[in-house]
Amino acid sequence: MSSQAATLTIDHHHDPSTSTGIPNKKLLMWAFLASDCMFFGALISTHLVYRLHPPAGGLDPKQIFSPELTSFSTFILLMSSLMMALAVTAIQKGNVKSCRWSLLTTIFFGMIFLGCQVFEFTEFVEVKHMTISNSLLGTTFFTLTGTHGCHVAIGVLWLSLMYVRSFKPAAGNPWQKSWLSHQLLHAGTLIVALLATLKVVLSLVFALRDAATFAAGFGHFIASDFLFIVIALLAYGGLVWFARPRGAVQFDEMNAIDVESMGLYWHFVDIVWIVIFTAVYLLEYI
Amino acid sequence: MFLKSLLPTSRAEFNRWTRAVLAVSGLALLAGCKFTDIWRMDGHQSTLDVAGPVALAQRHVFYVTCWVTFTIFILVGSTLAYATLKFRARSSDDQHAPPPPQSHGNPLVELSLIALSVGALVIIAVPTLKGIWYTYDVPVQQKGEALEVNATGYQWWWRFEYPTEEATVSGTVKMPLVTANELVIPAGRPIRINLRTNDVIHSFWVPKLAGKVDMIPNRANFLWLEASQPGYFWGQCAEFCGDSHAVMRFRVIALPAKEFSEWLEQQSKPARDVEPGPTHGAVAKAQFASLRLPDDFRPNETGVTGRFEIDPLNAWRSQQMPNKGEDPALIAKGRQLFQTKTCIACHTVRGVLGAQGITGPDLTHVGARTTIAGGLLENTPEELRRWIHNPGAVKPGNKMAVGFLQNNIHLQPDEEVALVSFLESLK
Amino acid sequence: MDALAKPAFLTKEEKPAAKPRLLAHPTAKTGLMSWLTTVDHKRIGFLYGFFALFFFLVGGFEALLIRTQLMVPNNTVLTAQQYNTMFTMHGTTMIFLAIMPLSAAFFNFIMPLQIGARDVAFPRLNAFSLWTFVAGAIILNIGWFLPAATHGAPNDGWFGYAPLTSKMFTPQHSTDYWVMGLQLLGVASIAASLNFIVTIINLRAPGMTMMRLPVFTWMTLVTAFLIVLSFPAITIALVELMMDRNFNTNFFEVSNGGMPILWQHLFWVFGHPEVYILILPAMGIISEILPTFARKPLFGYPIVVFSGACIGFLGFGVWSHHMFTTGMGTVATAAFAMATMAIAVPTGVKIFNWIGTIWGGHLQMRTPMMFALGFVWMFMIGGFSGVMHAAAPADAQQQDSYFVIAHFHYVLIGGSLFALLGGIHYWFPLMFGRKVSEFWGKLSFWIIFAGFNITFFPMHFLGLNGMPRRTFTYDPNMGWNTANFVSTIGAYILGLGIFIYFATMVYTYLSGERVGRDVWDARTLEWSLPNPPPEYNYRVIPTVHARDAWWYEKNNPEELAQERAEHAKAEAAHGGIHMPFASIWPFVTSVGILIGAIGVSALGPDNATTATRLTVVLSGAVVMFLGIYFWALEGNEGYHLHLDENGEPAEEEIAADHH
Repeated sequence: MSSQAATLTIDHHHDPSTSTGIPNKKLLMWAFLASDCMFFGALISTHLVYRLHPPAGGLDPKQIFSPELTSFSTFILLMSSLMMALAVTAIQKGNVKSCRWSLLTTIFFGMIFLGCQVFEFTEFVEVKHMTISNSLLGTTFFTLTGTHGCHVAIGVLWLSLMYVRSFKPAAGNPWQKSWLSHQLLHAGTLIVALLATLKVVLSLVFALRDAATFAAGFGHFIASDFLFIVIALLAYGGLVWFARPRGAVQFDEMNAIDVESMGLYWHFVDIVWIVIFTAVYLLEYI
Repeated sequence: MFLKSLLPTSRAEFNRWTRAVLAVSGLALLAGCKFTDIWRMDGHQSTLDVAGPVALAQRHVFYVTCWVTFTIFILVGSTLAYATLKFRARSSDDQHAPPPPQSHGNPLVELSLIALSVGALVIIAVPTLKGIWYTYDVPVQQKGEALEVNATGYQWWWRFEYPTEEATVSGTVKMPLVTANELVIPAGRPIRINLRTNDVIHSFWVPKLAGKVDMIPNRANFLWLEASQPGYFWGQCAEFCGDSHAVMRFRVIALPAKEFSEWLEQQSKPARDVEPGPTHGAVAKAQFASLRLPDDFRPNETGVTGRFEIDPLNAWRSQQMPNKGEDPALIAKGRQLFQTKTCIACHTVRGVLGAQGITGPDLTHVGARTTIAGGLLENTPEELRRWIHNPGAVKPGNKMAVGFLQNNIHLQPDEEVALVSFLESLK
Repeated sequence: MDALAKPAFLTKEEKPAAKPRLLAHPTAKTGLMSWLTTVDHKRIGFLYGFFALFFFLVGGFEALLIRTQLMVPNNTVLTAQQYNTMFTMHGTTMIFLAIMPLSAAFFNFIMPLQIGARDVAFPRLNAFSLWTFVAGAIILNIGWFLPAATHGAPNDGWFGYAPLTSKMFTPQHSTDYWVMGLQLLGVASIAASLNFIVTIINLRAPGMTMMRLPVFTWMTLVTAFLIVLSFPAITIALVELMMDRNFNTNFFEVSNGGMPILWQHLFWVFGHPEVYILILPAMGIISEILPTFARKPLFGYPIVVFSGACIGFLGFGVWSHHMFTTGMGTVATAAFAMATMAIAVPTGVKIFNWIGTIWGGHLQMRTPMMFALGFVWMFMIGGFSGVMHAAAPADAQQQDSYFVIAHFHYVLIGGSLFALLGGIHYWFPLMFGRKVSEFWGKLSFWIIFAGFNITFFPMHFLGLNGMPRRTFTYDPNMGWNTANFVSTIGAYILGLGIFIYFATMVYTYLSGERVGRDVWDARTLEWSLPNPPPEYNYRVIPTVHARDAWWYEKNNPEELAQERAEHAKAEAAHGGIHMPFASIWPFVTSVGILIGAIGVSALGPDNATTATRLTVVLSGAVVMFLGIYFWALEGNEGYHLHLDENGEPAEEEIAADHH
């Protein structure tokens, strides 16, 4: 709560109102990530302890994991970090439009990762018969990767809300009167779009996997998921409509610290995934 | 007057209060007890009045820590007391005197004090390390003579198994010797005890013989101990294990080598059969008539007498003898009830048909034990009847009470008497 | 807190035209709403203190019941189950709901004042921490009011060793309350600590370098780091336990290969730093009180600070000394024994420095000083029995015996609590502008001191005489009767002392003697403020020139006055004092969390349909999400205060949104 007014020239790496020059939000995020490290540390340790002391007759992870899919989703998540970095750079330069596109791409990649995880979990339970309760491997695997998945999901939600936030009208913009309801509706539409897309894409993948021919699978998919396809399309329409140009917005270089803090979180979640990918998956193949 | 500065401003009022507080607490103390009992360290579970090399080693380390910390306490404490006395403001003028020189510290003093503390810790560390290795496992040169025992914790009793000793079930059928709640060991010989648990975490602790080691599920713990002389020792579970943790107790009886092998031989026999003979119905009835009825016991009433205070080992020996005035008919009835009332589902009694349950303690020679109900009650007909009459009232939450409820077991007074006669005959 | 509610603050409160009604800033300065929406660190600190002292009395009452049960052998005041519930709740309450939040009360109230800040870095996050702590306390205690057969208060001991906590051995919801309660308290503690870390690192007044921070602030920083780094371990352990209980996972399920020893490691990786979380703030308070009443600076400030940080750091490497009896093997046992002994060095250093502080001073024997000296003596005894536990072979006899009970009560009552009670006395004039009577203060000190020693000193002998802890009864032939009886009498005396202490506090709060600024002639910055401190704390952010900033200022008044006038001008040019708006959203978020936690813990799979449970949990989640979202949309704008010559707010204006 410093009394100094914000200076006009913005240096993104130095906040003159704090003792150290590090912006408060950034420091908070770093401290939180230190704490989060310990969360994952405890979970990964649990997994590794039981890997070293497997119960007799436990499942063999090599029979269950599919490293190809996981490698793909790991790559996608790494790419999302790149897009996140681009979003931060864009907003630091005041380029709102570029920032929005980068945010959307990050969200898109994050959703691909989540989709892969949902697919993987479903495969493990239904095809490989590893559930959270029938084996220690299932217990530690699902809890650890599920916790990471929750982190990604929270990250996607945060990115989505930040994207919507970038449309907040500036003072003097006539849209300012109804900005709150617009924000809420916009956010709601985006979330519906994301969930419906996830559902539709996964249904398509499962239908194609289970059907004998492509046509049969696709037909089955259209029949069973028609409603969701419509919802997804409507939501996309809504997103385009909300994103139409509506005058000046209150989202600029001043918000770079918000995007940057979010970026720190997102990169951290990526790094944790690299550790999990190594300790849980790759370790089994060494 | 130094005290003056410590005391409140209004002395008269303070004195009144102090006198009242002192009087009340003093009276309470005098009324309740002999004050010096507090530091009499000769209880049944004393960790200082020890009886074996492991506990002795542990006590040695404790004494070292005591001497070192006492010395430091005297030095630091007297410095603190001296500083407090010397540098106090002595009068109200003094309190408003200009502040003393504003010194900030003295690195030389600090560093030498740090060095001294490290030195003191080294004095403790050396015996600690020696003690850790000595108390961990039976010394190599004694490994050959060590007796192995498996101890298993249950909510809330103990199962002791002698894996190297065979016991007869019937005919030529054998199994390892199993007993419960009273561990009998040879004196002067190291005992290596494998610690296991059937349910939650327990901790095996016989303070006079050795410090505790926990019984943890999926973990192969063990400890070793040795009783230097024959004796009778008290033990207790030392890790919270649920409702009746406080009454999960046991005994260790150390016997001379010869007596121990006699005991093993006796234990390896199946349950004792009392010869059919003339019934002494009237005698037995009179015996039981003189006992307190189970419902007369208050909840949580003491279940021990002074019988084991003076010479517990001989009291244990006398428990090994068959009771006088046994009534074979009553015992036979009790044996039958033991089967029909589904006791056999949980309890093993070698030699009684169908009695192979493993949920509860092995009762093959229960009559020869000095305690029942997990070391909680002395093994007398009166207490035994109290126990089987309403187990839940004696030991909250125990499995026998649950079993009674689930199997809808109700015992008539005469059935209780018969069961008690049977169990007490199992010497 | 009267001064905080001055109607003067209400003047010229204007709402910006474009503000949606939902996001209008609460303006209440008095009444319930003002407390629910406050973001003022001093009011939040006061609330922390209020709840902590309430739960301290609850925990104390539980302790008296425990001691009454053990007064004589085979007593029947409590049943076994009631007794087990009582000691579980006594431990959990005292640690998480009394000592920790009482420390947090001081962190909140005193620390920002000591570094010359106007508030913490994230005022609304601070309010969120408070209300989430309250939610956790509610969940933890909810079982008292529900049927014991299926619910009941937690009863598996404060460290809830698996597998006793599993559904098989504790089918009641009591353990679910314990899990969720601790979970929420963890969230609250971590959020609060993140805030304190940022505040101390970033909001120091100009010239307040790290090596000029008051020791209490330093210990706050170390404690905050300990909380941030150690609570995740118990959070994960509790998550695993919750999964075992609700989703049949196998973390501690023995039949599928789960290892209960893992719980112990995870718990104590948290649990041992937790011990320092309880004691370091106390050491900080003592390091403030002793120099003030010895009227000279802390002896060896850098070493005291360094040893505090060292204790915090080493605290992460000694957790297994709580597990010497779990059969870790010789090497591990030896390593942890040595590490534990090593931690005695920085602890001893602190004692030496406190004595060094007294040495050559001019001791004023006021009540806070009595508590501080009492602390040093009692903490020494507790420290020495701690060294005895570090010697693993001796610990094999002492572990889980009354010797341990004696040890940690010497550290936690004689240590933490004495310091906190002394701290209340010490800062009472600053917080409320009234001074506690020396007579009643000293009387309560002596009764507490006597009662405490009569209660806990005999427990050393009980432990050495083989009495295990957590036992609801004992037989009369074990040689434990006298010590137990004396101990119980001591507990009543201690209770009487605590009663007198609190009665005195309440009386003083209502109508104690009013005092002016800096009643103790103290040394640190907070004493430069009028009492009670105004909402904005510092009219002009001070510039710090020395370690004991206020002492320096008192000795160089002209220099400082001149400098301050210049700063005031500069600050006025920048737009006056920036104040944060009050907000209801942190409270709403915590309410959402409370609803969700009730859904998770109170409605187990066996007494509610999955649909009901999901509905409750999801509605909690929705409330929480909306709370966070509106909190974010509300933005962190604030208003500017312009003061007149008397320090009264002359003008308020809405500040620009600072994003």
